[in-house]
Amino acid sequence: MTERIVVVGFGPVAARLIDELLPAVRSGIAHLTVIGEESEAAYNRVLVADLGVGRTTPAALALADAAALVADGVDVRLGVRVRRVDRARQRVLLSDGTSPGYERLVFATGSRPVIPNLTGLNPDPAAPVLPPGVTALRDLRDASVLHAAVAGGKRVVVLGGGVLGLETALAAAEEGATVTVVHNGPHPLGRNIDRGGGSVLAASLRNCGVRMAGNARSVGVEHNAPDGGFSALLLDDGSAIDGDLLVLSCGVRPRTELAEGCGLSTAAGILVDHKLRAHHEPHIFAIGDCAEVRCPDPECVQCRTARGPSGLVGPGWRQAEWLADYLTLLASGADAEAEALPPLPAELPGVIVLKARGMNMAVAGDVSADPWDEEALTAGAVNGRARLQIAQWADPEHGRYVKMTTRAGVLEGLVSVGMPRTSAELVQLFERGAELPADRSLLLRLDGPDQAAAAGSVDPSRTVCRCAGVSGTAIASAVTEGCGTVPEVSAATRAGTGCGGCHDDIKGIIEAHFQGAVA
Amino acid sequence: MTKSADTHCPYCALQCAMTLTSPAALTPAVQPGSDPVAEQTAPSVAPPLLTVAGRDFPTNRGGLCRKGWTSASLLNHTGRVTEPLLRGTDGVHRPISWDEALTRIVAAVKETRAGHGGDAVGVFGGGGLTNEKAYQLGKFARLALGTSRIDYNGRFCMSSAAAAGMRAFGLDRGLPFPLADLDTASTILMLGSNVAETMPPFVQHLQGARDAGGLIVVDPRRSATAAFTSDGGGLHLQPLPGTDLALLLGISHAVIHEGLADAGYIADRTTGYEAVARSVGSFWPERVQSITGVPAGLIRETARRLADGAGKGGSYILTGRGVEQHVDGTDTATAAINLALLLGMPGSARSGYGTLTGQGNGQGGREHGQKADQLPGYRKITDPAARAHMAKVWDVPETLIPGPGLPAVELLKSLGQPDGVRCLFVHGANVAVSAPDANAVIAGLRSLDFLVVCDFFLSETAAEADLILPVTQWAEEEGTLTNLEGRVLRRRRALTPPPGVRSELWIMTRLAELLDAPSTFSEDPETVFEELRLASSGGLADYSGIDYAMLDRGEAAYWPYPAGSDGTPRLFLDAFAHAGGRAVFTAVTPRRRTPSAGAAPVAAASAADRAGTPMTLITGRLMEHYQSGAQTRRVAALAEAQPEARLQLHPAAAAAQGIADGDYVSISNERGVVSCRAELSTDIRPETVFLPFHFPELESANRLTEAATDPISGMPEFKTSKVWIRPAVSGDAVSGGAAGNRSGVQVLQAEETS
Repeated sequence: MTERIVVVGFGPVAARLIDELLPAVRSGIAHLTVIGEESEAAYNRVLVADLGVGRTTPAALALADAAALVADGVDVRLGVRVRRVDRARQRVLLSDGTSPGYERLVFATGSRPVIPNLTGLNPDPAAPVLPPGVTALRDLRDASVLHAAVAGGKRVVVLGGGVLGLETALAAAEEGATVTVVHNGPHPLGRNIDRGGGSVLAASLRNCGVRMAGNARSVGVEHNAPDGGFSALLLDDGSAIDGDLLVLSCGVRPRTELAEGCGLSTAAGILVDHKLRAHHEPHIFAIGDCAEVRCPDPECVQCRTARGPSGLVGPGWRQAEWLADYLTLLASGADAEAEALPPLPAELPGVIVLKARGMNMAVAGDVSADPWDEEALTAGAVNGRARLQIAQWADPEHGRYVKMTTRAGVLEGLVSVGMPRTSAELVQLFERGAELPADRSLLLRLDGPDQAAAAGSVDPSRTVCRCAGVSGTAIASAVTEGCGTVPEVSAATRAGTGCGGCHDDIKGIIEAHFQGAVA
Repeated sequence: MTKSADTHCPYCALQCAMTLTSPAALTPAVQPGSDPVAEQTAPSVAPPLLTVAGRDFPTNRGGLCRKGWTSASLLNHTGRVTEPLLRGTDGVHRPISWDEALTRIVAAVKETRAGHGGDAVGVFGGGGLTNEKAYQLGKFARLALGTSRIDYNGRFCMSSAAAAGMRAFGLDRGLPFPLADLDTASTILMLGSNVAETMPPFVQHLQGARDAGGLIVVDPRRSATAAFTSDGGGLHLQPLPGTDLALLLGISHAVIHEGLADAGYIADRTTGYEAVARSVGSFWPERVQSITGVPAGLIRETARRLADGAGKGGSYILTGRGVEQHVDGTDTATAAINLALLLGMPGSARSGYGTLTGQGNGQGGREHGQKADQLPGYRKITDPAARAHMAKVWDVPETLIPGPGLPAVELLKSLGQPDGVRCLFVHGANVAVSAPDANAVIAGLRSLDFLVVCDFFLSETAAEADLILPVTQWAEEEGTLTNLEGRVLRRRRALTPPPGVRSELWIMTRLAELLDAPSTFSEDPETVFEELRLASSGGLADYSGIDYAMLDRGEAAYWPYPAGSDGTPRLFLDAFAHAGGRAVFTAVTPRRRTPSAGAAPVAAASAADRAGTPMTLITGRLMEHYQSGAQTRRVAALAEAQPEARLQLHPAAAAAQGIADGDYVSISNERGVVSCRAELSTDIRPETVFLPFHFPELESANRLTEAATDPISGMPEFKTSKVWIRPAVSGDAVSGGAAGNRSGVQVLQAEETS
């Protein structure tokens, strides 16, 4: 029989799940219904800021094609909300009046922006109606609001020093807008970065034309624009930051209300076990931003240290791939195999790589400890577990900063600002859990000018013509014996008879010889 | 005998033009000794029979590399096999007459067929065989031996790019444009190809792009080709091995999102764009940076330079084995093609995509029936119309043509197995060195009932043979080859072969006769070519308008060349080869890799060998050697320059293991152990090591590679193997220095004097 799978939500994570389930749909073992609240099929939210500054197009953001899915037999409902889930009857009640049944229900409802508690804003998360001139940055409509402001050369105030806020600010500034980032604490990215990295980052952002307002506590918004829209962000010291558009970038909160409404356990997100199943409900799953992996077993070591939803898309995609395998096995009746499927390994701490044109920054893991912070470095170093070690490089004058936090040679945290190759190398080492070279300074030299140019050695015995394997010495002796032109040298030694790339070098040897003779 | 002949180099697919001249002072055709024992005591140095000179031609412009310059030294090499050699019960090979050799082969074939059926006889061909030999070999296998089991070593090099080209364009010709078109390009993106070492005269065609700062090389090593990008020549992208597909998706992402795609071209000339755009959507450059280690800024820069070049002097994307020899090689080549299609490059006058064919006749060798799934003219063996056509040309009932056989790796895995091949013919291949998981291949060869190897040296594969048949070398024969551009070239005879040597065409013809084969076989190359013209007529690789006379007049013949046409130097200018004329985008993304099942650990390496951090082994070529080295290791000048395999290793990785430059190291995994010297170099990524695959025995890189294959093309994963490195300790078998002098196979080197 055909297993009915209903997916609630049609964002990037749901799209991946659907893609992976398509073979099961095509083969007829599963019937799939997807319910998306927006009128578009899944698109890439990671790039909404790029869209907002006009760097890409809505079409390029698409991650799914509703028509193609329908052609494959998927029941796609766009612009439809789930009113509630009837677990007893295994049905979802939809805003279009229908109530499809399910054997497996997957929540992929994602998250919504946090609306900060400011006078002049309605903080009710259920009714996030924002006044004119104030927007979050989550969906295509938000992007078009930002785009209008950037294209119109307006002043943009970004509230929040998280990575999305910084990316938005940088992109908008690069596209010509006047941008101010307002954030708590002494530097952006808060506890995700250490003081040194944060300070160099803030300076780099300023160099890119972004105004940074740190240690700022905002208390309200002012609506004195002609259309009654936003005109300034008010701070607790009585000052105000003027602007035409306020972009709220204060983090996201998992959307759990549907799950709560049908009695599922939630904490920050919908609580699921290592097989992504809702607690005590084998028919319901949750993946992506809305899910919090924390199993009901109080003894589980992995869950004791588990973090809440990361807000990053990578872990969600891995969950989607895993769950697709699991659901496909269940749908094909291979229950034993499904149960034998090894659960997803615990996620590493997330990696943040700043998407920006003019500057470079990557940060991952716990980077709070400093090299001399004995207490922090030895914490947890028991039972033969190695202590943490820190290697660090700071060059604020040139906007460069690197910190490598390692245990037994493997990165547990990293910061890299202003060093693109180092940052690329460190991030892949972190992702692979690979051991760093004992000489950490190797990783600091990747961006140096000495790496780009293979210095032409002046050693006369070096091979000048690689194709024919002829040394400078052999060429020089041919010249001494009377060869005065490149073709003559070639005829005598075969140097220069392959790719011809060494003709200039041969000429140089000939010239050096005759200059020497004159002198 | 001929005084001089205009021909082409015996080695790679660039097929550099050369002139061979016989010095008048020399006596013709030095007779190598007939007694192999006496042969080894004879002086190993004989004056060369021919002098080699580069000849002006659009591809090499008179240039040759060391391999080409020294190629004539093998013609009168004292180690050359000049009589059929039969292995006795004592394992020693002794000369026998041709009559006896043929009789024994016929008996072995008949016995195998009678006992186990036609498919118990197998043929393994080579990408170095002339078009005539490759064509007749396919016919010989199917009609004379009655087997479907034929495939060739080109499966190791070209099949993934070929499959990707067929999928996207409906046709696979390595370069769908003349090589000289590259000269004016502003941007050239080379992925996994090190032409500066593998085909040096090619480098001339990169000069324009280098001058424009537009040479972009993707290689985990700072190869000689990658080094050209320094000093303003371009960019070097150094990804982790095995992440090329993600890198290409990242570049495509940047093209789409930065509005660089050629919308008009996509709309007019392609299908499937939307699915590709969606599939690259989740590969933004910063994410790709985390996968590949290539900075996001370089990924974007590459996209912009390609787009910029396409609008100026031209942009080209070229792929090589480095990105193709993977279990996702077809998808990676497809991703490169998709990128080219996004930018409107294929089929335009000044831009394009191509794959660089490796072996001398790697192009022609894959077109005329050496592949398990193909009939001549690049026809599918399962296509009823193709079968009917060939039945008519061969004048046999269609039912006599067997169906598809097994691709190379599967064919080799089947050796000696129940229902596998028990009697094997090897032509122009040295699988004991060149095939993945070489230890298993050698075990397979040893389990055969009868192994016949055609070669001119006692290669590592020939050493395993029951019967070795001595065949002609390039300077002793006529024929045609098709170079990496799809241009058909003439190979011409400059020298009479030694008396005991026969051409493979002669051998096939005699055997066909003795086996009472239907249809006709010929020992005359031109006669075979005339039949090949008919056979290829109407196929994708149509040679029907080409003949020896026009090639001898120096006409440039690029296929498809239907009779009555002028050939096709540039493909796809008006239409692609799919019905409807459009190129096809195929969305590809990295598959989740699962550990290969069935890779049961053979106790080749002990657990102690595999302690510590594994490293990624990549393999490739050196300037001085060609393929398995069966020829080049016997040339003194080349063997002196590169006498042994060396493991290229980053100093940081070496320091962690206490390895110094020049130390012997042991490289091992569950398939085997290699022992050689280490060469420390910062030109390689720290987690990656490199071994050349030209060397045999203890230095044979393919003892470590896995026989896992691409699901579409059947091409093996040569380029990423997990290995463990440690310093060699006393008690380890250690190679003795000069290559080859440590086994039963005596390698003598010919002195090359000029």
